[in-house]
Amino acid sequence: MTDQPPAIAVRDLRKCYGGKAAVDGLTLTVPRGCFFGFLGPNGAGKTTTIRMLMGLAPPTSGSIEILGLPMPARAVEIKRKIGVVPDESVLFDRLTGGEFLEFAGRMYGLERRVAAERAKELLELFELHSAPRKLIAEYSKGMRKRLTMAAALIHRPEVFLMDEPFEGVDAVGARLMKDLLLDQVRRGATIFLTSHVLEVVERLCDRVAIIHEGKLVMEGGMAALRSGSETLEDVFVRLVGADRAAERLDWL
Amino acid sequence: MSSQVTAILWAQWRTLRNFRPAEGRSGRVISVAMSVIWYGMWAGIAVAIGLAAASFDRLRLEAALPWGLMGVFLYWQLAPLMTGSAGLSIDTRKLLLYPVLPGRLFTMELMLRAVAGLEMLLVLAGTAAGLLRNPAVPFWGPLLALPPFIAMNLFAAAGMRSLIERLLAYRRVREAVVLLVVLTAAAPQVIAYFGVPPGILTYFSGLPGPIWPWAATARIALGENPLPLLALLAAWVGMAWVFGSRQFRRSLNFDQAAASAADRRNGGGTPWSETLYRLPGLFLSDPVAALLEKELRSLVRTPRFRVLFLMGFSFGVLIWLPVVHGSVRDGSGGNYPVLISVYAVVLLGEVLIWNVFGFDRAAAQLYFSSPVPFAKVLAAKNLAGAILIALEIAAVLLVCAALRLPVSAPRVLEAYVVLLVLCVYLLAAGNLASLYYPRAMDPENAWGRGSGGKLMLFLLVSLPLLSIPVLLAYAARHAFDSEVAFFAVLAVSGGAGVVLYGVSMETAVRLAERRKEAFLAALGESAGPLASA
Repeated sequence: MTDQPPAIAVRDLRKCYGGKAAVDGLTLTVPRGCFFGFLGPNGAGKTTTIRMLMGLAPPTSGSIEILGLPMPARAVEIKRKIGVVPDESVLFDRLTGGEFLEFAGRMYGLERRVAAERAKELLELFELHSAPRKLIAEYSKGMRKRLTMAAALIHRPEVFLMDEPFEGVDAVGARLMKDLLLDQVRRGATIFLTSHVLEVVERLCDRVAIIHEGKLVMEGGMAALRSGSETLEDVFVRLVGADRAAERLDWL
Repeated sequence: MSSQVTAILWAQWRTLRNFRPAEGRSGRVISVAMSVIWYGMWAGIAVAIGLAAASFDRLRLEAALPWGLMGVFLYWQLAPLMTGSAGLSIDTRKLLLYPVLPGRLFTMELMLRAVAGLEMLLVLAGTAAGLLRNPAVPFWGPLLALPPFIAMNLFAAAGMRSLIERLLAYRRVREAVVLLVVLTAAAPQVIAYFGVPPGILTYFSGLPGPIWPWAATARIALGENPLPLLALLAAWVGMAWVFGSRQFRRSLNFDQAAASAADRRNGGGTPWSETLYRLPGLFLSDPVAALLEKELRSLVRTPRFRVLFLMGFSFGVLIWLPVVHGSVRDGSGGNYPVLISVYAVVLLGEVLIWNVFGFDRAAAQLYFSSPVPFAKVLAAKNLAGAILIALEIAAVLLVCAALRLPVSAPRVLEAYVVLLVLCVYLLAAGNLASLYYPRAMDPENAWGRGSGGKLMLFLLVSLPLLSIPVLLAYAARHAFDSEVAFFAVLAVSGGAGVVLYGVSMETAVRLAERRKEAFLAALGESAGPLASA
């Protein structure tokens, strides 16, 4: 096991938009079987990073390896082994939920019969089966997120890349998704997720990293963090420098 | 065929099958009926073309076939854009998440282009069948010519779609394209006014040069010496392949976030526009000044408004050119600045008069939760509308002057006074319509319908009635042959309009309070990424 490459290894990753670095020299290692929380304030570079990991945006410079395979050189092999929940919609609006899941399964190389069976089971698991003829265009935001999560699971991936997976999902759906993700980690899968909800990250993740203005400002295990007197929220606020903002507004 | 290819074709088929113009069973029935009618019509056209191709003599075939094939080419390049914008075509970029080789993705894109251009495949099949039955055409002609022509169309369509999709990711390009499409609709009027350029007439009256792919295809199909023409067609296929595959690859690597970042860099205010936005604050006090400033900033930054504003003085002028030309020539002209300005106001009315909360959408609830009287909100919106309409009229007059149409000072004054009076009446009715028939509008969507059916009906009835006070002034001018009578009636109409506006404002405020819940629900219901639904 120890000889295995890490689930994700990122070195000196940069992504520039019009001369401005959205991600600036990010170096990060995510061990296998880890539940990894990737945090940062709005506009810090979380989504840009995860899009590069998913192979949706080419990096300006730096390297990415997933399960020891370089991205984008061996993108197809990597994509067979990862499940993704991007922030923007990757759903085809004019398909039904069941049709989309079956399609996703077949794209990952499942036999049509297997894809259809799993699609049906996942629809039930995520409680999306009550309106089988409903088009995705008519889904609410939470339903779309649940469907995207179901599609990420259909081929039993080894690594999950998830951008705000709980956003817009109700408490029951979020609980179900969290339980499923913890099950996946128990079976050896690796999860890399971004979230604004620090309580969720604190409860689920083994390790966290905080990115601010494109640069990594902290990486470490949750156990070490918990042993100190600060909560994750305290650490986050201290590192991204927002704790004194209110003090400057004396009228407030 | 690999399982991924069949999965994508299956998804495309389901996407088309699931297109439902209405809810429930009736939607499915309409969808099936529309498909049958549409493809039935194209099958009929294909049969008709086949019969014609079988019976035409060689001369007629030589004259008709190249132009027909050029039509096929143009349709094939435009059809994918239409199906794409209607959400009927699978977005190949979404397939990037899946383990598909980039080369195979291009093959899939070509298959999707073939499906999207099914009508043209039917037409070409009909043409081929007809030519094969025609004794004047050698049997190898259509068999040799049409397959490379189809391949060239597919490659070019894939490239064109990729290129245009990438360009349309930029907001300003989207607006320019919409404007261009709208201006194209005014082409008949422009042709009626300026005539057809002689170069175009000459080109279409003869046969296209053999260098063009449709001409080369037609000549091969009709059995002309095929080797040099085949080499030419192969070169076209090669160029189309290079264009298609390159554009497709660039689209796959295209970063939407980068395009959005570029749009953001172009957004915001310049010091020049900032001064203009802050002008109302010099003459008005808050909250009206703040509301007015917000309206001007928001509207000017809204693609849909910008397109309508540009249409007013471009399309609006072009579409009326023949009428203006006629009236100027027979000496009765002069009223055309009013005519064009009224037309421009009708165009802008969708966002400035009849549905003033459309772009606010769910944010309209702020007006009810903030300590600002609703009358002031409406007044600020109306003031913003009046300022922008005044600017639109100025732009119309400038364009008319640029086109060397007679624009005199009295006519400019007339245009402004008539539109001022008319707008008082329109705004009075518009405030009520905005509260009775609110409809969320997507500010990013530069092209779309902003009015619901009920509002359309309301406009149909109310617009003629609201125009009566202005028409009375023209009647007075005609009856008494006097400018004094004209302006006197306008002044009286304007006074009555102000009274009507006051009454309408009071009614609108009461209506807003009474219909608050339904009003906010309607605005939060639909259209665009920020709607609350």
